This record gives sequence, C-alpha cells and structure tokens, in this order.
Amino acid sequence: MSRETVKYIAKKIGQLILSLVVLSLIVFFVSRLAPGDPLRSYYGEAVERMSQEQLAAAEERLGLNDSLVTQYFTWVENALHGDFGISYKYKQPAAHVIGQVYGNTLALAGLSFATIFVLGLLLAVFCVRHEGKLADKLVCKIGIAANSVPEFFVALLLILVFAVSLSWLPQSGANSLGGSGLGDRLVHLILPVAAIVISHLWYCAYLMRNKLSEEVNKEYVLLCKVKGLSQRQTIYRHCLKNIMPSVVSIMAIFLPHLLGGAYVVELVFSYPGMGKLGVESAQYHDYNMLMLICLITGAVVIIANMIAQVINEKLAPDIKEERGQLL
Amino acid sequence: MSKNDRSLSIKNRKKSYLRPWEKLPYISIGILAVIILGCAFAELIMPHDPTYMNLSDISSPPGGNHIFGTDTLGRDLFSVIWYGGRISLIIGLLATLISTAIAIVYGTASGLASQKIDDVMMRFTEILMSVPQILFVIFIQAILGDATVLSISLVLGITGWMAVAKMVRSEVQQLRTADFVMAARTMGGGFFYILWKHLMPNFMSAIMFMVVTNIGTAIATEATLSFLGVGLPTDIISWGSLMSLSQRAMMTGAWWMLLIPGTFLVVTLICITEIGEYLRSRNKRDRLV
Repeated sequence: MSRETVKYIAKKIGQLILSLVVLSLIVFFVSRLAPGDPLRSYYGEAVERMSQEQLAAAEERLGLNDSLVTQYFTWVENALHGDFGISYKYKQPAAHVIGQVYGNTLALAGLSFATIFVLGLLLAVFCVRHEGKLADKLVCKIGIAANSVPEFFVALLLILVFAVSLSWLPQSGANSLGGSGLGDRLVHLILPVAAIVISHLWYCAYLMRNKLSEEVNKEYVLLCKVKGLSQRQTIYRHCLKNIMPSVVSIMAIFLPHLLGGAYVVELVFSYPGMGKLGVESAQYHDYNMLMLICLITGAVVIIANMIAQVINEKLAPDIKEERGQLL
Repeated sequence: MSKNDRSLSIKNRKKSYLRPWEKLPYISIGILAVIILGCAFAELIMPHDPTYMNLSDISSPPGGNHIFGTDTLGRDLFSVIWYGGRISLIIGLLATLISTAIAIVYGTASGLASQKIDDVMMRFTEILMSVPQILFVIFIQAILGDATVLSISLVLGITGWMAVAKMVRSEVQQLRTADFVMAARTMGGGFFYILWKHLMPNFMSAIMFMVVTNIGTAIATEATLSFLGVGLPTDIISWGSLMSLSQRAMMTGAWWMLLIPGTFLVVTLICITEIGEYLRSRNKRDRLV
C-alpha cells in the first residue's frame, strides 16, 4: 500500500470514530435528561421499595454522584468491554438480548433494501422512458400518494386483506409455531417486506428518476443517438453507469428512513426484531436497551454513509467531500 | 429507432412559473380546507359528545344513529374523528413551527459561519440524522414520561429540523455574499436583524415545500407513535390514538374502526404532500434528504 492509501484509510477511520463518539455523547446525554431518577432506569419500579440507605449505596455504586463527564467516561469504558448495562425488562445484559433478535431485523431490512434498490431503478428507468406522458404522470401520482401513507397503515391494510380476509399469508411472527425452515421464514417476510417497499419505494425511485431525467438531457446522449444506439441501450449502457454515484448516495441517505420504517412494521406484524424490542423497552422505561438500539442504528447508518462516500470517491474521483451536494 | 427517442433530446422546460395559478392543486387544497374547517368547528357538526362512552352501544357498524359506527369504547366515530383531527393537526403545526424555528436559526448560523465551524455544524446534523426520527422520538418521549400534546410536539420538533436546516444553510451560503447582506453587516446589523430583514424573506419560499411536507411527517409520526402505544394515551383523542384501539377490533371484522380514521389520516397526508410537491416544483428545488 502506498503512503497515500494509508493516509486515506487513516483519515476515514478517524472521521468514523469521531462521528461515533459524537453519536454516543448525544445518546448518553439524552438518556440522562430524564427528569426522574436515573436509578429508575437501572432498577425500574424496584426503586420505590428501596430504603434510603439502599438508594444511597446504589447511587454510589453506579457512580451517579460523579459529574456527568466522569459518568460518560465510565459508561464508555464499560461499553468498550461490551457492557451496555442490564435490560430492566429482560434482566439480562442489553447487548445479549439484542444479539438474539438482530438477525431478524437484518433479514427484513436487507431484503427490503435490495427490493427497493432494484425496483427503484427499474421504476426510474420506466418513468424517464415515458417522461411527460400519461404513464409517467400516473406513476408519479401513485408514488407520491403511497409515499405519504404511514407504514403502520400500509401494514394494517396488508394484514386486513392478505391475512384476515384471504388468509393467504401469516399475519405475525418470524416463523410459525414449530416451523423453522427457510421457506417458512420467507413466507413470514412477504407481508412486512411488502409494507416497507410500498411505503418507501417512491422515496428512492423519485430521486433516481430526477437524476436520470437530468442525465438523459446531457449532450453525450445525443451523440449516442447519432451513433445509432436505441434509447434502451443508451440508458442501460451509459446513463445508469453515470448516475451510479448519485444512486449510491441516495441509498445511503435512505437507510435511516428504511430502518425507522422497518422498526414500525416489525411492531405491527409482531415480528421479533430490534424495532419491536425498542418500542417494548420504551413502554417499560428500559433506557439501557433503548440507548443501545439508538446507538447501533446510528452506527450502522454512519458506517453505511462512510462506505457510500468511499465508493463514490472511487467511482467518481472528481466529487470529493461534497456531501449533501451530491443530489 | 422508436419515436420514444424524442424524449432524449434537450427539451425546453415549460415556463409554468409565469402562471402559478394554473397548476395549483385545487382538489387537495379544497379537501384539506374541508378537513381543517371540520376539525376547527367540530362542535358544530358533531352529532354526539365525542368523549361520551355509550357502553350499551359498543362496536356497532356504520349506519343508523351513528354514521361511521362506534368504537370499542362506545364512542360515536363520526364525532370522534373531527374532534380528534383537531389534536392531530395542532400537533402537526406546532411541531413544524418548532422544527422550522430551530432549523432557520441553526441553518443561518451555519451558513454565515466560517468554513471550519460550518463543517462541524453540518457534520453534527448528519450524525443526528443517522438515528431514524421515529426511534429518536420514542427514546426521548420514553424519558420524558407520559406524552401530552405539548410534549409530543416538542419532541417531534427537536428531532425533525435537520433536513430543513441543511436547506437553509445552502440557501444562506448563496445569499451571504449578496450586496444587501454585506451592506447590512458592515453597518452593524445583528444576526437576528439580518436573518429577519434580509435572509428570511429571500429563502422562505425555497424552504416552504419542506416545511409543508414536515407538517405531514409530524402528523404521520404522531399517529404512528400513538398507534404503537408510545404516543398519546387513548383518552387524548387523536387519529393515531383512535386507531390504536382498532388493531384488536380488526380481527373481529370491525373494519370501520381502522379504515375510517385511517382514510381521514391518509387523505390529509396526501393533500399536504400534494401541496408540498406543488411548492417544490414551483421553486425547482429537490429534496436533499
């Protein structure tokens, strides 16, 4: 590796670590905003049954008498050893509880992400090939409408139609009782993935469509036409390749929306994943768990953004560091 | 070569901005006006007391005495929808007011600051945006305790300003070197003076579509939260808390408890989006996020 590459990688890792530190600071201080007793977040309702001495001892042990800054460093030190505190609801380390369910969320979000990526590009190409015509306008109208319907309502409608009325597909869970095969899991994924795709597809497709429609108005397209390429060939061979950097940033910017959507959909379908865990934790005031879920989600998005940036700098070296300006 | 190929040529864009009234989304504005007026003057059109729980008339289907039927608590759905819509709309407006205020101040400060500070401030918004808004809201609301109309608007406001702030910042960066801003600065105009007198009148139209869209997002997020049971409790009636009752009722075939409030919510959201889209197309701006 050349010195340049080493420097580049070091810079990227430095930025990544800095972002993660800021994220952890935000999450930590939000969790300490609680007007109530922070002890409650560790012991929950049990606080009310504690004696004065027990309370003082607990405060001492948890370091609640120290300044916020000291508390933060203690927390980071524990976190680096994989200790994110005990989940009050599950009476287990929070990281352990998440370890049991994150796979489900990964499957749901990953499948939806891939579907949206492919369908979004196809829809963008379709719209651009029919730009200004009825088909494009119709797709745009439907897309805007679908995009403004909240995920939970889409999910409920899907349950109402396909699970309750038609009984074609299961309405909840990640697999049926006793069943475990891959097919069974996939059947349980169809409706949740459909709900996410319906409510989020247009977000991506629309940005891609605009980008592509800008691209087909460029001069080189005229040259392709003169050369005798058909419109389809021009778009698939040249235009799509050229908008790839933008598509990568669109997908990176879209990721937090997708994850938020997946969390809501999980809940409606009682799909055991991080979203369901998060909302249940909120109901039980299980702050350690919520903190960890926020941290993991934020970290995933930050890392994904970093990867997108690196890919972009490799794909198109002329756009460097102009984040946010890419679209 | 098909005749589709014509769409690949460089086109003259229609100059629709010369006649802005032509493409006004009249239908959306009309429907939204009906919903807003109906919610604002709910007392005049409600046939029943929305909070009255008639326990002898639970979950009755639409028709007869109750146009939209009753819910699982025996409340008249028609009255409850107009009454609850008021809370949903108020939350949408209040949250957007808060988020827009934060966004304008933050975005302008970032846009006027030096390169280094600007970088840091924008990096900070990106980090905040890395946590999905809904998760952030659930987290903060869980810490603040039981939700009220005010607390939920506040939480939605302080978690939803980042995208607008980025837009404000990019607008301000273009304006900061304009002569009138320079003149005001050299004459000693303060930050808020310049913001109010010179910058805001120039960038408000550009960010307006995002502000309008944010109203819809806030209403949708509140509905989602209340529906999931981490937002407003069921005794504060909003479209979301109304629908949170319906999930179990749905299994028994009581579709009206879900579909009727849902339709009101969705129609409102689509109208707001349409108006936002209209504003966006007029300003030829694209969403950054």
